[in-house]
Amino acid sequence: MMKDSFSSFHPIVNFGYFAAMLLFGMLLMHPALQVIALLCALTYSILLNGRRAVKFNLLYMVPLFVVMAVMNPVFNHAGVTILFYLKNGNPMTMESILYGVSAACMFVTILIWFSCYNAVMTSDKFIYLFGKIMPALSLIFSMVLRFVPRYKEQIKRISLAQRSIGRDITQGNMLVRARNGITILSIMTTWALENAIETADSMKSRGYGLPRRTSFSLYRFDSRDRLVAGTMLALIAIMVIGEASGRNDMRFFPSIKMAHTTPFSIIVFAAYLLLGMLPVIIHVVEALKWKSISSKT
Amino acid sequence: MQEEQLTKPNRRLSRRTLLSAILILVVIPATILMGIYLLNDRKYYFISLLIILYTMLPFAMVFEKRKPQARELIVIAVLAAIAVAGRSAFFMLPQFKPVVAIVIIAGVSFGAEAGFLVGATAGFVSNFFFGQGPWTPWQMFSFGIIGFIAGILFQKGLLRRRKLSLCVFGGLSTLVIYGGIINLGSATIFSPSFSWQSLLAVYASGFWFDLVHAIATVFFLFIISKPMLEKLDRIKVKYGLIERE
Repeated sequence: MMKDSFSSFHPIVNFGYFAAMLLFGMLLMHPALQVIALLCALTYSILLNGRRAVKFNLLYMVPLFVVMAVMNPVFNHAGVTILFYLKNGNPMTMESILYGVSAACMFVTILIWFSCYNAVMTSDKFIYLFGKIMPALSLIFSMVLRFVPRYKEQIKRISLAQRSIGRDITQGNMLVRARNGITILSIMTTWALENAIETADSMKSRGYGLPRRTSFSLYRFDSRDRLVAGTMLALIAIMVIGEASGRNDMRFFPSIKMAHTTPFSIIVFAAYLLLGMLPVIIHVVEALKWKSISSKT
Repeated sequence: MQEEQLTKPNRRLSRRTLLSAILILVVIPATILMGIYLLNDRKYYFISLLIILYTMLPFAMVFEKRKPQARELIVIAVLAAIAVAGRSAFFMLPQFKPVVAIVIIAGVSFGAEAGFLVGATAGFVSNFFFGQGPWTPWQMFSFGIIGFIAGILFQKGLLRRRKLSLCVFGGLSTLVIYGGIINLGSATIFSPSFSWQSLLAVYASGFWFDLVHAIATVFFLFIISKPMLEKLDRIKVKYGLIERE
């Protein structure tokens, strides 16, 4: 399968897209918009992660959705439409059941968006974006990401060396094994700290902290990015106007009240759908382009 | 540069306090009001998330502003990496994690600011391995604030570098601070409006997880606090690191 083409856009486009979708996902409670968001998130996650996403969504998201939807009416008794009374005398209301479904839908949508975010916004993109604004913190962040696999590697080396003198965690009785394990971690920590100081001195001698540093990954904001960013901004503007004019309003308590559907709200829904599906649309267009190019030769 | 660093500490603290004061007194109430009037008081989750992010902002800004040295950066990175590696090493035991123990040691050994940064970084980066989600800011803040409080209490002499003292603080802070904040975070997702009942339900269901987490913190502090503090002291003496007085 072809690599997701939205990932190849400028990091700011990627980040802006996810920021907008997460923000709208958390803020908008209108059922039509929620369904659109869930649909877009599901489609994109399946496009990105294939079979793994289907498994993740069925195995974790569906039970989570059910549990959350059931949890709310049990603890929340607001609302005017009483359906029946629970054994402990608390009323079960239609509003709280529907709110539970809506909140569960929102939470699941956001989790699925995050699973897409994890696939698209790799750590080097994140550092590229925030390296200019917070250089020290993003440096710490990138070092930690590098250290973790490095320490795992080092632990392997230390335990191999210890094994040759009979002090590995696979040798001796339980107590000896545990003690050997702690010794290995202790050696590891000392090494990590010593090594860190050496790294720091080496960084300093190569001019860390001097102005005009470069990034590992280079990204160019080209015409393709401009086109997509412009489209995104236009769609977001429509959404904001829709929100401000009350087209997306939804109230659950005390009674359910939804904004009337007008022609303009259809436009808002369409804009949301288009915005959410943007990466999928880009992917399909690129795939078609590729096909038409490759078939000619 | 060196002299500048030596004369700075007093001003640094006050600048952070000022920034925090502005955030707490102006920006956070404004956000809550915006939530009530513009968003019809229904978006508790979103508003609480914003507030958590605000509280972390002063730390980040002050830290960036004073242009930390490479050595200081890297020690924070090493401690955070050890915490992350520890969290992933115990992945098969839910809640039984050494992160809080290492964050407390960092706060005691290198001061409140380093404690906060180690905690927040460990929370953030470990979720790159475990998966980011809406819980990330809550975890970052909880880990960070425990490290910060450990550093302050140690500076004030209320927290000693002894096993008993560290273990008591570790257990209590994990149960009360970490559990308290994380459960509040998950309560904001479930209920449409604040209610003691649903909050209580979330705390009750989370209590056993928090208890396991607290026991893990006590256990790890008991085992690693002494050797770890010795190692950090050794590094500080050997290379003349961050002695801030």
